Amino acid sequence: MNRTADTNLPRLAIVLPAYNEAGNIGAVLERLRACSSAEAIVVDDHSDDATAAIAREAGATVLSMPFRFGAWTATQTGLRYAYRHGYDLVVTMDADGQHDPAQIGTLMAPIVDGTAEVVIGACVARASGLRRFAWRYLRLLSGLEIVDLTSGFRAYSRRAIAVAASWAATSFDYQDLGLLLLMRRKRLRVVERDVTMSARLDGKSRVFSSWFAVAHYMAFSSILGASKRGRNLEEAGS
Amino acid sequence: MTGGIALRAVLAALGIGIGLGMLYLVRRDRLHGSYAIWWVFVSAAVVAFGIFPGMIDWIGVRLGVAYPPILLVVVALLMLLVKMLTGDLDRTRQMRKLRYLAQRMAILEHEVRGDRR
Repeated sequence: MNRTADTNLPRLAIVLPAYNEAGNIGAVLERLRACSSAEAIVVDDHSDDATAAIAREAGATVLSMPFRFGAWTATQTGLRYAYRHGYDLVVTMDADGQHDPAQIGTLMAPIVDGTAEVVIGACVARASGLRRFAWRYLRLLSGLEIVDLTSGFRAYSRRAIAVAASWAATSFDYQDLGLLLLMRRKRLRVVERDVTMSARLDGKSRVFSSWFAVAHYMAFSSILGASKRGRNLEEAGS
Repeated sequence: MTGGIALRAVLAALGIGIGLGMLYLVRRDRLHGSYAIWWVFVSAAVVAFGIFPGMIDWIGVRLGVAYPPILLVVVALLMLLVKMLTGDLDRTRQMRKLRYLAQRMAILEHEVRGDRR
């Protein structure tokens, strides 16, 4: 792993996809600053409010999407930026205050010590019975052994950033099943670490905003899981 | 031979109308050339089967179809399915490219602005 000459630590960037988070982004970046000096990359998913301006004012690097594409495309934009700018490690986290920046170290540790390429901050306690049932169903369908499939609080090594930023990952609508199956296909080791998560400040999920959105997610993920389950493993970078 | 003169004339006019409409859309840059090929082919088929409806019976008999007119319906449905599938494949490709371009634009716009921390 490439490390900065002065600190001997990997170069870290924090990617925060954000849509209409003007009410939260300032506080989230402030908490982040208190815990880490890493570059904060806020990807504004074409918000209607002042998310981008507040983030810029708070000292973050702001990438503004020309249209709204959803959380994964925004996250991937940040990953592409980080890869292009030579970062060794990226942590992705939500911009709604759900994820605690103090736990970034917990996510980084397995990558720094070389035991994993992707680390998922897992918080099973936050899941309702229905969500746990959905996770179990998708695990069964895809063959993945990851408990918290939908957590956006993750750390990626340089190799994992390359895979997540690749053309193959561009067509995903969500950052979970498709991406994790791609990581498995590229033989990248994915592990989970227990973290705590707060309730969303506005109490509403962006991805699962309605029952229709949940149904779309389940149908999309089922097809993805079933169709990609048996794909041959490849070497990373192939 | 099936089909009256009036029906043949209507179908032929319809086919010619579709063909001319497609050429007009290509001329006005509303329809890309490769898509126009499909629609001009469809209009040619409408003209051909409109003027010579006996062709359906002729083909159906040789293919062993008991009720030849259904052949036209089945083939038309299959071709529509193929067209819809290729359309969705094309949209998927374009969506991927659009996302990639939007991401590149967001990154380059930031770099051009030069406000990197």
